Amino acid sequence: MSELHWLTAAEAVREFATRRLSPVELLTALLSRIERLDPKLHAFIRLDADAAMDAARAAEAEIAAGRVRGPLHGVPVGIKDIIDVAGLPTTCHSKILLDNIAAADAAVVAKLRQAGAIILGKLSTHEFAIGGPSFDLPFPPARNPWNPDHHPGGSSSGSGAGVCAGLFPLALGSDTGGSVRNPASACGIVGLKPTYGLVSRRGVFPLSFTLDHVGPLTRTVADNALLLDAIAGHDPADPGSAATSARYFGRMLDRGVRDLRVGFVRHFHELDKPAHPEVTAAVEDAVRVLQAEGAEVRDVTLPSLNEFAAVNRVILCSEAWSIHAPWLRSRPGDYGQLSRQRLMPGAFMNAGDYVGAQRRRFQMIAVIEEAFRDFDVLICASSMDPASRIEDAAETARTYPRQARTPFNITGHPALAMMAGLSSNGLPLSVQFVGRYFEDATVLRVAAAYERGTEWHRKRPPIG
Amino acid sequence: MDKDLIAKLAHAAGLDKALAEFPDDVALAAEQALGNQGAIAYPTDPTAEPWPPMRAGTGL
Repeated sequence: MSELHWLTAAEAVREFATRRLSPVELLTALLSRIERLDPKLHAFIRLDADAAMDAARAAEAEIAAGRVRGPLHGVPVGIKDIIDVAGLPTTCHSKILLDNIAAADAAVVAKLRQAGAIILGKLSTHEFAIGGPSFDLPFPPARNPWNPDHHPGGSSSGSGAGVCAGLFPLALGSDTGGSVRNPASACGIVGLKPTYGLVSRRGVFPLSFTLDHVGPLTRTVADNALLLDAIAGHDPADPGSAATSARYFGRMLDRGVRDLRVGFVRHFHELDKPAHPEVTAAVEDAVRVLQAEGAEVRDVTLPSLNEFAAVNRVILCSEAWSIHAPWLRSRPGDYGQLSRQRLMPGAFMNAGDYVGAQRRRFQMIAVIEEAFRDFDVLICASSMDPASRIEDAAETARTYPRQARTPFNITGHPALAMMAGLSSNGLPLSVQFVGRYFEDATVLRVAAAYERGTEWHRKRPPIG
Repeated sequence: MDKDLIAKLAHAAGLDKALAEFPDDVALAAEQALGNQGAIAYPTDPTAEPWPPMRAGTGL
């Protein structure tokens, strides 16, 4: 058996089933690691150790009695602190909501409990999933396990850092402009933004209603499918929830990519936002891996990243302003500076800007849908640079927008980022796979084939 | 953007307190809002609909 903190969820469940490991033993090992490493990483805003241990003891007894509640029975999961867990504060990493105790579980947390998962605690985020990394908030920002001087990506920063460091095998994040896939890229793990509407947003503090997604962060593709299985499904209480019965997202993980048609969006990282040479090399290498596995790869052209980014900004800022205007008017000093700067632009946009961006969005969706007539999946860069130093605000401001994730928040297609290399200074590099609507299983299938064809998922950060 | 214009727009948006306490942040936000001018190829077809389309009787 691996060291307990590096067990995947799938491995842990197998060990529980054979009684070689108990949920209490696993949780005890993880709590010890959290106690040792989290003072450096700040992945947690609130560790709910006592409740987690109670749940682990209950799971141990139930599994011993042959009563397995679900596919994640006894597995600890971390929750981004914009997602409600009943009885715990949902602070959104902000002074504004320090005393905001959740009355009920978010839909995804309720589903995790149904699957038997153990809710471990609430995780660091950029303030309101937009303002960070910041040092003027009530909690410190999470740091990158590969090098704590560097940013772990965001806004689901604690989710990425904690999964990467072996503090927990599974985490939930949210993704409005790339906030699941950015920490996955920066920390060298697997992060999926599912198809819009596949996972309920009920009980998740909104940033931008039409761009927000909840998604899984894990160390392996198989775990990502397992976690998606647990949280996906129609929720009539979420107006954006899709009436789909899609599930068993891991059913094609072993099928490989032979004869799949892959569109390579080369212009994203070559022309639109020219990538760091090591990122370019990693993406090119990922293409070669898929070709070696039998995929047919051809270039495809989409609208430019710069236009996608502008459309995303107008929609996000407009929708976020409608949420935050009352607090920005009455309590501007209770926000961190980055949040103020990023949430107020909506006050200076007009109805024509917003509706115009939504009309252009419709056309952009049509272009990508047209591309998917010729391709089964797309491959492109995720981040254009390795993670910046967290205290270098200028470098973070320069590199943070240099990414190719926002297009798929605008269109709602499923998109997954995962590790694709290590930079010369020892930081993860990444690649992104994108699929048709509700073909999240195909995205995971391609990611699994890439994972099998490389060794990146076996790399561990030099911490602890 | 002209400072007086920013002040008028901020006042109209109810951001007087932010303008008094964090004038640089308000100015930066206003400039960012204008930064999208010309970056989006807005549809010229008058019949081009916004996303998502109105769908009566669904989503409630």
